[in-house]
Amino acid sequence: MHPSLSFDQAPPISVPYRFFLAAPWFGVMAGILLAWSGGDALASRWTPEVLALTHLIALGFMLQTMCGALFQFIPVAVGGNVWRPKLVANTVQPLLLLATLLLVAGLLFSRPGLLSAAAPLFLLAIGGFVVVVALALWRTPATGMTLWALRMAIGSLAITVLLGSLMVEALAYGLSVPILELANIHLAWGLGGWALMLLAGVSYYVVPMFQLTRPYPLWFTRWFGPLLLLLLLAWSSQLLVDDARWPLLVALPLLLLVSVYAGMTLWLQYTRRRKIHDATSMCFRMAMASMLAFAISGATFFLLPELGADPRFVVWLGMLAFAGVFVSAITGMMYKIVPFLNWLHLQRLGAPLSSVPNMNKMIPPEAMTGQLRLHALAVVLLLAAVWQPGLARLAGVAFAASCAWLGWNLVGAVRRYQTFRDRIRAAGLHH
Amino acid sequence: MTTVIDGRELQPPEPMERTLEALDTLAEGDDLLLLLYCQPHPLFNVLRQNGYAWNEELRADGTREIRIRKLPG
Repeated sequence: MHPSLSFDQAPPISVPYRFFLAAPWFGVMAGILLAWSGGDALASRWTPEVLALTHLIALGFMLQTMCGALFQFIPVAVGGNVWRPKLVANTVQPLLLLATLLLVAGLLFSRPGLLSAAAPLFLLAIGGFVVVVALALWRTPATGMTLWALRMAIGSLAITVLLGSLMVEALAYGLSVPILELANIHLAWGLGGWALMLLAGVSYYVVPMFQLTRPYPLWFTRWFGPLLLLLLLAWSSQLLVDDARWPLLVALPLLLLVSVYAGMTLWLQYTRRRKIHDATSMCFRMAMASMLAFAISGATFFLLPELGADPRFVVWLGMLAFAGVFVSAITGMMYKIVPFLNWLHLQRLGAPLSSVPNMNKMIPPEAMTGQLRLHALAVVLLLAAVWQPGLARLAGVAFAASCAWLGWNLVGAVRRYQTFRDRIRAAGLHH
Repeated sequence: MTTVIDGRELQPPEPMERTLEALDTLAEGDDLLLLLYCQPHPLFNVLRQNGYAWNEELRADGTREIRIRKLPG
């Protein structure tokens, strides 16, 4: 590298890593909770165990990694400057950890006091995060659909947290609110508006870059986000529209849209000229296959009410979405982002290019594919356990083990970063 | 003289590594053409801070043509 080249002021590596390193251990907790509770826990979406499991994954695993990734992604992909990233991350992350643990404990043990303590912490942590990120996203001179998807996603996160806090306070104080409708709307904004919108926006950028596919077609990136947002608004209007057919009329196009994204991503992977079969490509394939299965199952749920009447059906949908889609996709993303960040930050020390190790040396490929195989097994067991409660404990153990392995792989990558950094410094290669 | 780096089928950080290496030997008046499917903001920052100018064109197939040259002085 040219000795005079200097790198930009991207956030310190500790900013994304403190989120990434915490996330897998929430997955471990979720696995242990399921193994501890056994099959009856999965009888419906309303059991305390399922509510706790859902939030361990949604807030502990997904929100942690997504927040951490945004701190890094915004400067790199859309050229935005997040205000004092270290200060914000050091404040938001511990608050988020604490709020998640309080909420999960409140849901699991039905303790209203814990629930109502969690809500203001979420509002504070996510409120602060949303403001800082939104400012960065609106001030950047960049253009493009990734940026618009990020803007819509951050707005959806705010809606999700507001609705969640409202429900939590209603539960804690015994207020009368339409809890079923609110829960469905909260879920749609969280999974669709925040998580899927963010995944899509990030995919437009990183799928071609890391998986060497052609770019997503312009017509697709132009329409996917706005249509998703419109359909979510229509879905939310079920609070106002007193017609039992309304959710069905909105859900089917929504599920179709979700399948188009999954199908498009699989098609781009399938038609790329240079085939690579790394862990990230496999994670994405698994996530997109789960998304298609989710869309087909969801349509079945609405079109065949006798099947959908089984309360386990929604748990099945949840397993596909949380474990199948998002844990897989996020794992795949981290397996690219972490080695890339290691490389980028080692470069920033100013050492000659030849002294910075290759990205492939940051996490051994066999450790990633091994963990991924265990994750795939865990997802299959989790799905089976919905219908065969006898498998729930085994599924919980497999999921906990897979998340622990992921955590271990990430810790290994951070250690390697430190070793290489110290070596470069000791050799006096930096300036 | 134009040097071309086709980064569309290379895994990151290879396109950036190759670009930085090529910049080392880029003479004034010559330019470097980088082909990518994304906008390389980290590279743009490096260019901005080190006296390079670039322009960018988007082809119909989604390829971005990034043409880099050294600013005089």
